[in-house]
Amino acid sequence: MTARVLITGVGIVGPDITGGRSSLEAFLDAPAVPSPGLVDDAALGGLVDEGERRRLSRVSRLAVAAARLALRDAGIETGDDLGLVVGTEFGDLHSTRAFADGFLDGGPGGLSALLFPGTVMNTMAAATTIAVGAHQLSLTLNAPTIAGELAVIRAAAAIAGGRVDAVVAGGVDERDAYRESILADLGATGRRGEGATFLVLEREERVRDRGGRPLGEIRGAASGALAARPHGVGRSPVSRAVAFALARSGVAPADVAAVYRSASGDLARDDWERRVVEAAVGSRPSVALAARLGGHAAVGALAVAAAAWTATTGRLPSPWGGDGGRVPAHGGPVLVHGLARGGGQAALVVAATTTGVR
Amino acid sequence: MRRVAVTGLGAVSPFGLGVKALWEGLRTGTSAIRAATLIETAGFRSRLAAEVPDRLPGSSRRSRADRLALAAAREALADATVGGEARAQAALIVGAVGGGMLEAEAWYWPGRRGGAPRHAALRAMLPSSHADVLGRALGLGGPRETLVTACSSGAAAIAVAADLVADGVVPVALAGGVDAMTRICYLGFNALKLLDPEPCRPFDRDRRGMSIGEGAAFLVLEDAERARGRGALVYAELAGHGMTTDAYHVTSPRPGGEGMARAMRQALARAGLAPSEVAYVNAHGTGTPQNDRIEAIALRSVFGEGGVLVSSTKSMIGHTMAAAGSLEAVATILAVVHDMVPPTATLRVPDPEVPFDCVPGVAREAPVAAALSNSFGFGGQNVTLAFRKPA
Repeated sequence: MTARVLITGVGIVGPDITGGRSSLEAFLDAPAVPSPGLVDDAALGGLVDEGERRRLSRVSRLAVAAARLALRDAGIETGDDLGLVVGTEFGDLHSTRAFADGFLDGGPGGLSALLFPGTVMNTMAAATTIAVGAHQLSLTLNAPTIAGELAVIRAAAAIAGGRVDAVVAGGVDERDAYRESILADLGATGRRGEGATFLVLEREERVRDRGGRPLGEIRGAASGALAARPHGVGRSPVSRAVAFALARSGVAPADVAAVYRSASGDLARDDWERRVVEAAVGSRPSVALAARLGGHAAVGALAVAAAAWTATTGRLPSPWGGDGGRVPAHGGPVLVHGLARGGGQAALVVAATTTGVR
Repeated sequence: MRRVAVTGLGAVSPFGLGVKALWEGLRTGTSAIRAATLIETAGFRSRLAAEVPDRLPGSSRRSRADRLALAAAREALADATVGGEARAQAALIVGAVGGGMLEAEAWYWPGRRGGAPRHAALRAMLPSSHADVLGRALGLGGPRETLVTACSSGAAAIAVAADLVADGVVPVALAGGVDAMTRICYLGFNALKLLDPEPCRPFDRDRRGMSIGEGAAFLVLEDAERARGRGALVYAELAGHGMTTDAYHVTSPRPGGEGMARAMRQALARAGLAPSEVAYVNAHGTGTPQNDRIEAIALRSVFGEGGVLVSSTKSMIGHTMAAAGSLEAVATILAVVHDMVPPTATLRVPDPEVPFDCVPGVAREAPVAAALSNSFGFGGQNVTLAFRKPA
């Protein structure tokens, strides 16, 4: 990477948490084990206005609320020079089904022009760019399991490449009982969750100029693909993406202090990921947030923020069913890793901020 | 920053399989907008569509969109002679919207009416499915992303892939867009009253809306030094791109066209091109009264009145949704290659609010050293790609 990319804000809307960095730290330090649940819509009060509550679908409201929290956490008020990258696994399927049902129930007269934009997965990005006034690039990334990680990687690359100075990036998904029953019929396993998490990523010089307070730094990032059938798991543990992310960050595999994995209870995939990570960096203390929070696109972005906390404090949220153990007290670079059925892979190296702007 | 060369093209369009069929249709100003056959259209404002007429290669167990994408991607990789070793590192960036929705609808529609459920049809429903199918079938092992930016998805995929090559992340990338016809899309644009009952007439004073189409197109993008080193045929240089957001309305573009103009200016600046060096703009040009009027405002602010040739190839192949940006990128590249501007085939009565030569009726020979391709989508998602002849 050329320009250094700092994480300067985080906004989280989940079943057990709504807030910025201080809420995140309390959440990660809490002895209680969270469980996948539903976001209480009342928690969005004050984060979405009345018009948005009326006009926007629920998953779009989650995205808007988390993006506003992230910008507030970063101390940024206006967003003219901001980009936005949203990761999602399922988009607004709820609106898609409601749109189809309108036709099936009422014929052409039952079609809703208001629901139609929700059938396209960029609908959350559209709502969010309008809400925060982001005028630069806006991208929506669709992927199973790793959409949140991919969104952060894409945003970091856009900043590092000098194409934009600041990006709000993260993921959003909502639970849907109908969809989950079909996935279960198709043989899908693993916990499901919902929520939205966005990070504010900025070029180092911009952070220094405006006196921002970084949580950490994205030192290197890469996406890749391992050989696998669509929807299947592969065999090879050899990963080009992790090696690339480490090389870009100047971090040796042996110096990786901890790993945040994407494991969510899909046993075959989780085992494959464990072997991939061990082949890349050896045995390291690790945590799988999705194993407790349920898999959804927000978890990848949450893992990046949590990794910055771990790299800085030397602590892991170990009661959460990670592999146990504590990171050395001095902290150190943390690998955020994601691996999806079908072979999609994401790797980010997150470090404490060492640039003097903290 | 590395220069980005286009070394392979692949397309499946309403003219049929292959880039040759696409260019022949565009060059001759032929309309591929016909009566729709893939979905039921009785009782709707428009009963037309630009469907791919050929029998698609590949297993019928795959979704129609997967088969469209596979055919176009295979052609592009073969055209660029990208071998196994390069494929193992190559990025795959796919722009998609509908995914396997056509098959999911075929399950859901009768299911809702009491038919037997066939859940397996849902496996390939999400847009990201295409990338996993292509990656597996074609042995592509580099970065893999699926971009959904509505009607600019195909162009956004090409822009992101160009970044990966320019930044030295990968030496080669396969990028493009795909969409098959879907009921949801057809119903939605009907609900918005944006479909013309006749074949669409972009930039015509009497235009009444768009025609929906389907297809896929992929480009092989390559580090220009690498391409030169291996003696590859280079169609054009992807000299720059611009991506901006209106942040204005979920379905309507900002009335002054500022976001569109910023995308064009960004692309020109990154390409190091002055507006006067651009001979041709392949417009988004959907044929809706609003889009074409606002795009014309944006074009005028960048190029001045009449400052560039403008055409909409949607006049022949309809609006192919996520494939549009990539099919139109192929059309734009071939305009640069052949020094020939494809027409706005159905334009009869010029609109005084569109102060440009929109190349009505038939293609026109003209030197095209550099050209832009515009793609705009719901959510105010503006993408402009800038191509020029290789150095």
